[in-house]
Amino acid sequence: MMNLDLIFPEIFLSLSIMTLLMIGVFKKKSENLVYNLSIITLAILFAMVVNLFTINEQFIFNYSYKIDNLSSFMKALTIISGIFVMISSSTYLKSLNILKIEYPILILSSILGMMVMISSNDLIVFYLGLELQSLALYVLASFNRDNILSSESGLKYFVLSALSSGLLLYGCSLVYGFSGSTNFIDIANTSTNIEYGVIFGLVFLIVGLAFKISAVPFHMWAPDVYQGSPTSVTLFFAALPKIAALTVFIRFLFTPFINLIDQWQTIIVFISIASMIFGAIAAIGQSNLKRLIAYSSIGHMGYALAGLASGTNEGIQSSVIYISIYLVMTLAFFSCLFMMRKKNVFYEDIQDLSGLSANHPILSISLLIILFSLAGIPPLAGFFAKFYIFMSVIEQSMYFLAIVGLLSTVLAAFYYLRLIKIIYFDKPKQTFEKDHNFGLRLTLAVSTGILVLYFIYPGLLNELVSKIIVI
Amino acid sequence: MIAHAVFFYLFSFIAIVSAIMVTAARNTVHSVFFLILDFISISCLFIMIGAEFLGMIMLIVYVGAVAVLFLFVVMMLNVAQQKNQWFGSSKSSSHIPVGLLVSLIIFFELIIVIGGWKYKPDLLDSKTIIISETTTNTHSLGNVLYTDYIHLFQLSGMILLVAMIGAIVLTFRQREGLKRQSYISQISREKKDGVQVVEVPNNKGVKIDV
Repeated sequence: MMNLDLIFPEIFLSLSIMTLLMIGVFKKKSENLVYNLSIITLAILFAMVVNLFTINEQFIFNYSYKIDNLSSFMKALTIISGIFVMISSSTYLKSLNILKIEYPILILSSILGMMVMISSNDLIVFYLGLELQSLALYVLASFNRDNILSSESGLKYFVLSALSSGLLLYGCSLVYGFSGSTNFIDIANTSTNIEYGVIFGLVFLIVGLAFKISAVPFHMWAPDVYQGSPTSVTLFFAALPKIAALTVFIRFLFTPFINLIDQWQTIIVFISIASMIFGAIAAIGQSNLKRLIAYSSIGHMGYALAGLASGTNEGIQSSVIYISIYLVMTLAFFSCLFMMRKKNVFYEDIQDLSGLSANHPILSISLLIILFSLAGIPPLAGFFAKFYIFMSVIEQSMYFLAIVGLLSTVLAAFYYLRLIKIIYFDKPKQTFEKDHNFGLRLTLAVSTGILVLYFIYPGLLNELVSKIIVI
Repeated sequence: MIAHAVFFYLFSFIAIVSAIMVTAARNTVHSVFFLILDFISISCLFIMIGAEFLGMIMLIVYVGAVAVLFLFVVMMLNVAQQKNQWFGSSKSSSHIPVGLLVSLIIFFELIIVIGGWKYKPDLLDSKTIIISETTTNTHSLGNVLYTDYIHLFQLSGMILLVAMIGAIVLTFRQREGLKRQSYISQISREKKDGVQVVEVPNNKGVKIDV
C-alpha cells in the first residue's frame, strides 16, 4: 500500500476545488465567499505542505511522483505567493467587475497543476500537470472578456502555448522512444552513453520549458500577454508559473539528463545570456509598466537559469534563492500598481508615476526600494540574489557568463533608475486614492520589509534552501 | 514483411500529403476533408501495428467528432464561400470532386487495412511489438489505467473540469430582459390576475396598468 499522506495536499486541493465550485453554483451571489474560502484553502494547504518539508526523498505511484525537499519548498513558495496574489488583488477584481466564482477556482486549479508539475518524476505526470496549469491560465488571461486586449492576450497565449506544448510532446516522445521509459530515473539509467535521439528530445524539451518561463528566444508572448491580461492575472503570470517551470527545469536537467550535462550546459548558457541581454535592452523603450515588468522578468529568468547552467548543487540553490526573491519583488511591484487607482481606473503608464513622491511619500519610498532591489543594489535582497548566482557561476570558472551577467545588470539598472528619476524629480501629475484595503497594504508591507531586512539575517532563507539537495 | 513495409509507406505518404494539403488547400472545406483523410490514415497506421484500440479511438473521436465539428463550423461561418469569391472559382459544387477523391482514398485504405486484418493476419503484422493473443488492447489498457495510472486518470478528469469551467466562463452571458416561460405561473394564473373590469366613461378612454 502506498503512502497516500504524501499526496494529501493535492487530494485536499482537488476536493476543495470541487466543493467550492458546488458552493459557487448553488449559492447565489457567493463570489466573495468563494474568494475568501479559497484563500483559507490555500492557507491550510500551505500548512500541509510545510508539514512534509523535513522528510527524506520519497516516491509514490511507481516512482512517478516524487516528494523531496525541493518539491516541498517550491510548493510552499507557490502556495504562499498564491495567497498574497489573491489577497492583494481583490479590490482590483471588484472594481473591474470581473470577480466571478470561477476566478478563484481557476487559480486553485492552476496551483494544483503546478504542484503536480513540481512533484513529477515522470514525463506523463509532468505533461498532465503542465496542461492543467496552462489551461487555467489561458482562461484567466482572457477573463476580462469584454476587453479586446484581454481576449487578444488569452488567444495569443493559447496559440503559442499550444505550439510549445507540441514541441514539448515531440521531445517527450523522442526521449521515450530512445530510452524506453517515461520515468526520469529509468531515463537517467538508460541514457548513460550519448544517443542522438535523446539529445534531440532534450533540446525540444528545453525549448518547450524555456517558452513556459519566457526565456529568450521564446519570449515573444510575454509582453503582449502581460500587458493585455487583467493586472491581477499578470501578477499571477509573473509569479507562479515561473516557480513551477523552474522546478521542472531543475528536475529535467538533473535527474533524467544528468549524464548529458555537457550537451545541455551550452544550451542553457546561451538561453541565459540571451535572456539577460535582451531583458536589459528591450525594456528601455517601454512606456507601459506591465510591459516593462514583462521584459524585466525575461531578464530575471536569465539570471535564474545562469545558476542552473553551473551544474552544481550550489548553482541550483542559488537559483532557488533567486526565484524566491524575484517573487517577493514581483509581488511588491504589483501591489504598487494596484495602489495607482483613481475612481476605479488603474493607471499603468510610466508617465503616471511622474512626481509621485510629492503626494504619495510612502508609495514612492516602497517603489524606490523595489526598483533598487530589482536593479540589484546592495544591501537590498535583489543584490544578494544576484550575488549568490554569480558566486556559483564563478566557482565553475564560467567567467564569460558571469561577465555578461554583470554587464547586463548595469544596462538594466538604467531603466530602473529612470523610473526612480520620474518618481522623484518630475513634475507631479496625478494623485491617486489612498484608501487601500488591508490585504493590499499587508502584501506591500511584508514584501518590501523582506527586501529591506533580508541582509540582517540571510541565513533564514539560505539554511532552508541549503536542505535542497538534488545531486 | 515487404508487404508490411509497402503498406506502411503508402499510409504514411497519404498522411503526410494530406497534412500538407490541410494547410495548402485554398478552400477551407477541402482542408477539412484532407484533415479527415489524415486522421484516417493515421488510425490505419495504428491498426497496422496492432494498436486497434488507439486506431478505433482515433476514428471515433477525431473523425467522428472533431473533424465533423470543424466541417460544421467552417460551413456555418461561410468561410469557404468567401474564399471562392476571392479566388474567382465557380461558386458552388466545387467541393464535390475533392470530397469524392478523399472519400475514395479513405474507402481503399479501409479495405486494405480491415481486409488484411480480417482475412490475412500475417500480411499486416509487425514482429517488433509483442502483442498478447489472449487479451485485447482495450482489456490491457483498462488493467493499467485504473491501477498504475490512477493518478493520471484523475488528473485528466481535473483537466476536463477546468476546460468545462473555462468554456462556460468565456461564453456564458446573463442576458437582461429575457422572457422565459414558467409553467407554474401560467397554470396557477387566475381570472382576477388577468381580467380587469373597468367602466369606461364616454369619450375619455382608460389607462390600464399592465
